[in-house]
Amino acid sequence: METIQLDILTISGAILLIATFGVIARRGFMDWLNAYRLQSVVLSAVTAIVGYVTGIWEIYIAAALTLVIKSLVIPKVLTYVTRSLEIEFKTETNPYLSLRASIIVSALLVAMSYFLSQQIPFKSDPVVNVYLPVSMAQFFLGLFALVNRRTALSQVVGLLIIENGLFLFTLVLTHGVSLIIEIGIFADILVGIVISSILLFRMSRTFDSLDVDKLENLRDD
Amino acid sequence: MPSSPEIILGIIQALILMALSPLVTGIMRKTKARTQKRVGFSIFQPYYDMIKLVRKDEVVSDQSSWIFRCTPWVNFATIGTATFFIPVFLSHSPFGLVGDLILVIGLFGLARFFTMLAGLDVSSTFGGIGSSREMMTSALLEPALFLAIFVVALTYGGTNLSTLVEAASNSPLLPHPQLIFAAIAMFVIILGETGRLPFGNHATHLELTMMHEAMVLEYSGKSLALMDWSQSIKQIILFTLIANIFVPWGISSSISAVPLGLGLLAFMIKISIFAVSIAFLESSIAKWRLFRIPDLISVAIASSLIGLVLYYL
Repeated sequence: METIQLDILTISGAILLIATFGVIARRGFMDWLNAYRLQSVVLSAVTAIVGYVTGIWEIYIAAALTLVIKSLVIPKVLTYVTRSLEIEFKTETNPYLSLRASIIVSALLVAMSYFLSQQIPFKSDPVVNVYLPVSMAQFFLGLFALVNRRTALSQVVGLLIIENGLFLFTLVLTHGVSLIIEIGIFADILVGIVISSILLFRMSRTFDSLDVDKLENLRDD
Repeated sequence: MPSSPEIILGIIQALILMALSPLVTGIMRKTKARTQKRVGFSIFQPYYDMIKLVRKDEVVSDQSSWIFRCTPWVNFATIGTATFFIPVFLSHSPFGLVGDLILVIGLFGLARFFTMLAGLDVSSTFGGIGSSREMMTSALLEPALFLAIFVVALTYGGTNLSTLVEAASNSPLLPHPQLIFAAIAMFVIILGETGRLPFGNHATHLELTMMHEAMVLEYSGKSLALMDWSQSIKQIILFTLIANIFVPWGISSSISAVPLGLGLLAFMIKISIFAVSIAFLESSIAKWRLFRIPDLISVAIASSLIGLVLYYL
């Protein structure tokens, strides 16, 4: 029983990492959304597992909220607001680091997060041991996606990954903060997505592009 | 020293691999045809093709040297030798005493080297592009393959295939997490090594899509039959490796009739499922641009790297 549980922990952590890599290794916005959706489904499963291991019922509610908001509502909202954008705005054609280099860099980032999480002296709790490096890796990969990409849309996706990583981080370290705070965070993300999508829309209208470098260009009108 | 029934079983395993390899190619072609709403050839068509090719005369360019003529035989000999080290339905191969996974990869490398030389030897432009493409992908694929193999070898302790497969068949139902990453890497690498669709297309002889086909374009008759057969054997070896290392269920570890029969049955089922799913995958994706292929291989490398990290956790 004990080993099977540990296996489930490690394998769900591995699947989370794979889903995060799906965002790094693809170019199209729809691919990122699908990877994010998969990541959120696994994240809610992981939340439920943490709830089962710790036996706190509030975590199950957080898992259900994750499933509904992150894997259904946010992708729906993002597809809805981006449906009128041109297709070339939705693909990352020219990141700062090429795709293959960024894949290797993100593998190194994962290695670094495993190394870092071993430096932090924690009591040997299997949940912390397994998920802490995964959450840090998610954080780093999201940050990397954020700084490496030019279009604003993919930066939104990077932000969402960072948020997922932070959610997992707090979950495994504190075994779930109180439910009110969780709900507040979820509402925060939703509002953030809506605001950023309005910004995206106005950016595409004003600048005819979602490339954030072009925001620095001076205009004389 | 292995006993004589073990040696006989080892030879039978190698012969089964050689005999079944065109069938796997046939199954994959049939599946691809059915998914494209064609009837397709019979799954035994590769055998008929081979018999027909053996009966035909050969045409050899007068520009070619001995390399062109001996390459089919070198190919067949190296890849045929590799079959002896592969556990098929018995988890320990008696010839594992003399060679391990590294030797198998080395034999593949030798075969590929001679194929590339033969592509250049006839001094046709097609052979040249085929060889240069093959050199580019193989230079990237081999480190990725070695990384993936290191993950597996570290997990199960040793590069000897019998040790690997035996340890894999004794491990619990859920694999180690690093093996998931190694399996992803191996899957991508196998698609590349066998020239399957994101890398190259077997079905056409277009300049854009050829890789392996471009190198063997000048062959005819018996030589072509040998080249095709060796390519099929290489494919079935790689499929067997990934099946027996990552899903070793049903493989027999004792030399008695019932487990051996079950092992053979499980092997055939696993290989056919694998072949059919690869054929489905091939039908659902398009060929990637040649210079995007390193992206895919870097996914394999990154995946094996993460596997290594997880192992040392």
